[in-house]
Amino acid sequence: MDTTSSFDNLHPLEIKVLTAFGAGPSGTVLTTEQLAATTALEPSQLSMAIEWLLAKQLLVVQSETITPVASLTPLGETYFEQSSPIERILSAARDASGTGKRLTIPDLHTKEGLDPADVSKAVGRLKKEGALLIVQGGCLESTGRPSPSTEAMRAILQQLHEAPCEVEQFPEPSRQLIQEHAVRRGSAKEPFRVEDRVARWYVLSPEGTVAVNQVTSQATVDEVSQLSPELLKDGSWRRKRFRKYTISLRAPRVGIGKKHPYREFLDTVKTKLVSMGFKEMRGSLVETEFWNMDALFMPQFHPARDIHDVYFVKDPTHAAKIAEPFVSRVTKAHENGGATGSTGWRYAFDGERAKRLVLRSQGTAVSARTLAAAPEAPGKYFSIARCFRYDQVDATHATDFFQVEGIVLGEDINFRTLLGLLNLFAREVAQAKEVKFLPAYFPFTEPSVEMHVRHPRLGWMELGGAGLFRREVTLPLGVTVPVIAWGLGLDRMAMVALGIHDIRELFTDSLELIRTTRGIF
Amino acid sequence: MPTISIFKDDLESLLDSRRAGAVSIDQIEEWLMLVKGELKGHNAETGELRVELQDSNRPDLWCCEGIARQIRIKQQGRLRAYPFLSKQSKPTQRVIVGAGMERVRPYVAACTAKGYRVTKEGLAQLIQTQEKLADIFGHKRKTVSIGIYQLQKIAFPVTYELVKPDEARFTPLGMETVMTLSEILMVHPKGLEHGRILAGHSRLPILRDAKRQPLSFPPIINSREIGEVRVGDDELFVEVTGTDLAMVVLTLNIFAVNLADRGAMIEPVAVQYPHKTPLGRQVLTPQDLGKPRSIRIETIERALGQALGGKTVTQALKTYGYDVSAAKSTVKAKLPPYRQDLMHEMDVVEDVAMSCGYGSFAPEMPAQFTVGGLSRIEQTSDRARELMVGLGFQEIISNILGSPESYSTAMRLDGTGWGKMVEVDNAMAVTFSALRQWMLPSLLRVEAASNRAFYPHRLFEAGDVAIPDTAHELGSRTDTVLGAVLAHATAHFSEIHSCLDVLFYHLGQEYSLEPVQHPSFLEGRAGHIIVAGKPVGVIGEVHPEVLERWQIGVPVVSFDVNLSQLTDRA
Repeated sequence: MDTTSSFDNLHPLEIKVLTAFGAGPSGTVLTTEQLAATTALEPSQLSMAIEWLLAKQLLVVQSETITPVASLTPLGETYFEQSSPIERILSAARDASGTGKRLTIPDLHTKEGLDPADVSKAVGRLKKEGALLIVQGGCLESTGRPSPSTEAMRAILQQLHEAPCEVEQFPEPSRQLIQEHAVRRGSAKEPFRVEDRVARWYVLSPEGTVAVNQVTSQATVDEVSQLSPELLKDGSWRRKRFRKYTISLRAPRVGIGKKHPYREFLDTVKTKLVSMGFKEMRGSLVETEFWNMDALFMPQFHPARDIHDVYFVKDPTHAAKIAEPFVSRVTKAHENGGATGSTGWRYAFDGERAKRLVLRSQGTAVSARTLAAAPEAPGKYFSIARCFRYDQVDATHATDFFQVEGIVLGEDINFRTLLGLLNLFAREVAQAKEVKFLPAYFPFTEPSVEMHVRHPRLGWMELGGAGLFRREVTLPLGVTVPVIAWGLGLDRMAMVALGIHDIRELFTDSLELIRTTRGIF
Repeated sequence: MPTISIFKDDLESLLDSRRAGAVSIDQIEEWLMLVKGELKGHNAETGELRVELQDSNRPDLWCCEGIARQIRIKQQGRLRAYPFLSKQSKPTQRVIVGAGMERVRPYVAACTAKGYRVTKEGLAQLIQTQEKLADIFGHKRKTVSIGIYQLQKIAFPVTYELVKPDEARFTPLGMETVMTLSEILMVHPKGLEHGRILAGHSRLPILRDAKRQPLSFPPIINSREIGEVRVGDDELFVEVTGTDLAMVVLTLNIFAVNLADRGAMIEPVAVQYPHKTPLGRQVLTPQDLGKPRSIRIETIERALGQALGGKTVTQALKTYGYDVSAAKSTVKAKLPPYRQDLMHEMDVVEDVAMSCGYGSFAPEMPAQFTVGGLSRIEQTSDRARELMVGLGFQEIISNILGSPESYSTAMRLDGTGWGKMVEVDNAMAVTFSALRQWMLPSLLRVEAASNRAFYPHRLFEAGDVAIPDTAHELGSRTDTVLGAVLAHATAHFSEIHSCLDVLFYHLGQEYSLEPVQHPSFLEGRAGHIIVAGKPVGVIGEVHPEVLERWQIGVPVVSFDVNLSQLTDRA
């Protein structure tokens, strides 16, 4: 061990303690109290410095003694201020004898408000000492004789009120009384507390002696802990010695500003989509059933449109109207196909139902709005939209969540370019090289595909669903080119990237968790 | 999307009895792609397979027989013939429909099945198919319900007619005693569950045989005497009732081909109506209602992005069960009798792709050039988020759906304009029953839960809120709002004001503060943030009563800025 460097590392508090030894002859033995007096350090600072020096083996404990010390508990202080149960019983018995009243043990409980356990303990002692008699009918009678323990109790309360005191300082009967009435496991309500006071005698180790010599010899060099503008200004830093730090210690924590890890993940997705030529779409949290479902050719009797699947708005319940020509065209598409080349669903479309306001349940609603707003062709669009589902909340279901969805329009859109686009997503979003396409079903696409990819860390997983929008969707909204509709299920990827297992933690209210969650994307 | 239970042995024997037990699970999973099925579970001991069928328009696939059929067609190259569907087949039995049925439950279809001895697996499938079809395809029995009976106990003709609720009585399945129809509606579990379908009708439907014995009370419950099928029965009567004739016939067709696939001889039944139906006064059931549709081969090729040729298209459709013939540039395709889901040409396109296998189409990149970009509001929001991070704030993210208690009551906003929000009519729990109308409660939610996280706390969130607005077509506007809070022992108005100031400087916005009496903030320490003469947000020291409600033990100062309004102005 290179002792010089370790001496250089000494903290000012350590130096103070070492110097306290250095002042005396070699082999000086000092107690904690003596060190406190010499160094004038706060008890906490002193014990810190001693711990450090012991750890560095510059200081050793020569010997230690353990002394029981008695002190008053808050209850003891109350006894001192008012009086202890034994005193109250004795005086009550004397009062009763003086006035000729009967005093029973239940009286002590009810009138004096004393604890039954305290009463039986005190009465037993007073009877044994002959200060009290129990006569017929369970009445207590004072004998007029003195009670040594009552007097001893008062003396102890008095002394400990002034200052805690070593138990050894008390005469034998009092010591016993203290032990009997000391707080211990199972009897917390006692007037006295007995604690072990550890007294230590310290002496310098041989390395400590070397360190003291070094410290005292360097005492002439002015040591500073912090460089300051003043030192720089007058150049006096040249004459200073800078204390070396122990840089291997843990750094103190610092609060920083940063993005939420889940938003950060969504930001990377957003950036990737923009880099692939997608324009962002925005939509409304509240939508009509028309844009949320009807325009997507989901028949009004579709099971997913049930009261148990969608949140309905309380007030207003309905939109005033839906823009034409979309209502008429969509109505026809549902009823008989209209001009879409479809047979339709063959039922009577309810125009009122279409106006019902709901909380957006799928991001595809945003795509429907875009289709109706004369989108570019060729064109690519995406949205990261908050959606709401009527689900019991648990580890895998949230009532509101993000859906990453979009559309691609163009003359060259067909089933194979749909697969090509999905391949691109697999590579760019999930860094996957292997992809599997499975037939799937969505009410608004035909053909429909489900994409499974082999994620570098997650293995095979479903990355998303897609398809070519049905003509019953696009034509009524005024779009004549083929359109891909796609959606990515990214929550599982996000949860793995963030190291969480419960979907509710994505929106956690724990600042500590948010501050410490690290995303690996 | 029904999930059904089938048995591996049963599936194998329906495919090819010689191969029983020889098929691997991997093979089954591959086959399931033909039916948009996903294997959800497999019990190796019992051989039970849990299969989720995705296509809600293909009820024929929601059973073991249907899945096996689709695979078998692929293996054998074509659909087997079902002679009972030919127009020449002569019905031996009749069902007579009584007057007035058209107002209650107009249609019925029926057939008989003989020569198939019902096995344990077969019975389980019959019951499951009956339940799934009536529940999902038949909208909880409203449009379609199914009954199956022991044929030899029935004297033909069967009548389907209306009776007064107390006129007819029988022992229903699941009961020990004879009950009238009104008693069944009031007492029987199925009556309680489905009775509302018949609500408002003074006379109720009943199926009875020639000896006036009740078969069932559709769509509620069968008679115990005739309408309980057991393992070993080998003569069955199947009927379907409902409100849509096409759906009723389709459902019967599915049962007929299922039983035929298991070896039964199906005999059609003639249904006689007192009035005209879309299929005439007398309707023979089962019946193939499919009509051939001509599709240009080019349409299919363009949609799939691949030149296939008439031969490949014809072959693909034939091996998927279609009745198909090709002309020069078109195919004439008709769905098999157990399907009715051809609405658009594109439905045929998908079947071609599935029959060929999605794997046989090489992915190709869309080549046309497009320019990407973010919306203006997202750009503003991202810029604001960057600045907030630079100011030392931690971003949070919250549910938008929450409670009126936290968005308004705890903020002391009840009865004020600030407290108005979009509420949900059919909330599952009050904790998820309103959309947030501003951001501060979302931030207080985190602050309230984080008193053990070291201070100071500097939090922000940028996200959507819904602001009620009678002038808007949807009754509310969705705006993007930035909210920020500072919480620590000496948090102070000027501290958050400094943050707002530097934020607005870098967003390039001139603003001023105007004192406002806002119940969520201490009076005299709150202000509207004014841009171009209009308020775009609020800043202030959060009212101690609000902090108490949230059980927050340190002072909190905050601002809420409506970024959408800011962007619209810019």
